[in-house]
Order: sequence, then C-alpha cells, then structure tokens
Amino acid sequence: MSTFAMEWYLIAIIIFTGFYCMLASRSIVRQLIGLEIVSKAAMLSVISAGALTDNLVYAQALIITMIVIEVVVVAAGLALLVKNFRLHGSADIWKLDSLKG
Amino acid sequence: MTYHNLLFVLAAVFAVWAVMAKKLLTSAIMLASLSAAVSLIFFDFGAPWAGVFELSVCAGLITVLFIGAVSLIRAEEEKHPENRTRFYALPLAVAIFAIAAWFYLPAFFDELATGRQMAAGGGTIGLALWDLRRPDMLGQVLMLAAGVFVIKSVFPRRTENK
Repeated sequence: MSTFAMEWYLIAIIIFTGFYCMLASRSIVRQLIGLEIVSKAAMLSVISAGALTDNLVYAQALIITMIVIEVVVVAAGLALLVKNFRLHGSADIWKLDSLKG
Repeated sequence: MTYHNLLFVLAAVFAVWAVMAKKLLTSAIMLASLSAAVSLIFFDFGAPWAGVFELSVCAGLITVLFIGAVSLIRAEEEKHPENRTRFYALPLAVAIFAIAAWFYLPAFFDELATGRQMAAGGGTIGLALWDLRRPDMLGQVLMLAAGVFVIKSVFPRRTENK
C-alpha cells in the first residue's frame, strides 16, 4: 500500500468522525465542531493530493482560501447560535425552526 | 510507523476526542489540538504557508470564537445535558468503519493515484497567490465582507418602535 493510500484511509476515518458528530448531536456547537473536523479532513486531502502530483504551491493557495471560508462559516454559525440563544434560551437545532420565514 | 502517519493518527485521535468530550470547552480545546496536528502535517508535507495559516487562524481565532460561544451557553448546557449514549458508541462505529474500509478503500486510493498527472512543480506561494490566482484573492475579500455583513444583519442596532 502506498503512502498516499494510507493517508487517505486515515483521512476517511477523520471524515467519518465528523459526519458521525453532525448526525448524532443536536447542539449547534457540536454541529459546527463536526463541520470543522470534516473541513480539516478536506484540507488534508487537498494537501495530500498536491504532494502526490508535485503541485504543493497551488494546494497551499487553495487551502488558504478554504481557511478564510471556514472562518466566515463558523463566525456566521456562532452568530446564529448566540442570536437564537438570546431569543429562546436554547442551543438545540430542533428549536431553530423559529428562524424560518 | 513513520512520523508522518503518526501525525495522521494523532489527528484522528483528537477528532474522536473532540466529539466524545462531555464538556463543550474540552471539545473546543481538542478541536484546537486537531488544528495544531493538522498544521504539523502541513509543515511535514513542506507546505509552511498553509501550516502557519492553519495554526494562527484555525487553532487561534476559531478556538477563541468557540470558547466565547461556549461560555455563553455553558450554564444552559449543564442544566439540560444532551443524551450521550450515541457518543459512547463512536469508538465502536469508528472501529467498524476502519475495519470495513481497510478491505476496500486503500486499493481504491491506490488505483486513484495511478491516474495522476504530474505538475511542473516549482513556483512560489507569492506567485501563485498574487499573480496566478488573483481572482481568488478578490473572492476571499468578498467572502470576508460577506461574513461581516452576516454578523451585521444578525445583530442589528436596536431601534425604538414609535
């Protein structure tokens, strides 16, 4: 088995952990933690593929873009959490239906 | 096991720990540790710029955001704790997935790797970011502006209704 296959196998385990967290939990914070774990695994796969094809420079540029997007998504998610918590006193995703239009 | 694979295993352990931790604060700290492990992997790959960004932004800024949000909702979480039965099943689920995937995934990834097309290599990160991918930089600025706009619209200035 090549190093690349071993790396991606371990990345698949990390992605599985993140998806499990998002499926099992009802807390918004844990949902975001699951999302973070999945995005970390995605970054690892990008850099691993970049190393495989000797294209690390482009992979790094892509990862920097991904990090910026990740920060914005987390900030927006936590802002929704804080707003919802102030309005309803709950961090449960099942009680987010008051946000629907 | 090489240092490289050890870092990947460490990242997986931190990910499982972050999901299984009972306190949200521990989860946030384990997420920061996961970020630190990921940035070490970046350095090991020879991608220092991505590593520095990961360490400063993900392990620093995002952890601060998480800890701020967790400190706000902690009292409520302790009053109504989540049902944790499903989280205790995580190591078992990960073990089942790892054993089942061992027979299929590595062979598939090996096959995937044979279809690669080697790039020319070389170049610098400055060249890639500022010259070749300049529209990306514009996209990032717009993305940050969108984030600021979301915060601004979620927390509007309170006005008196007359």
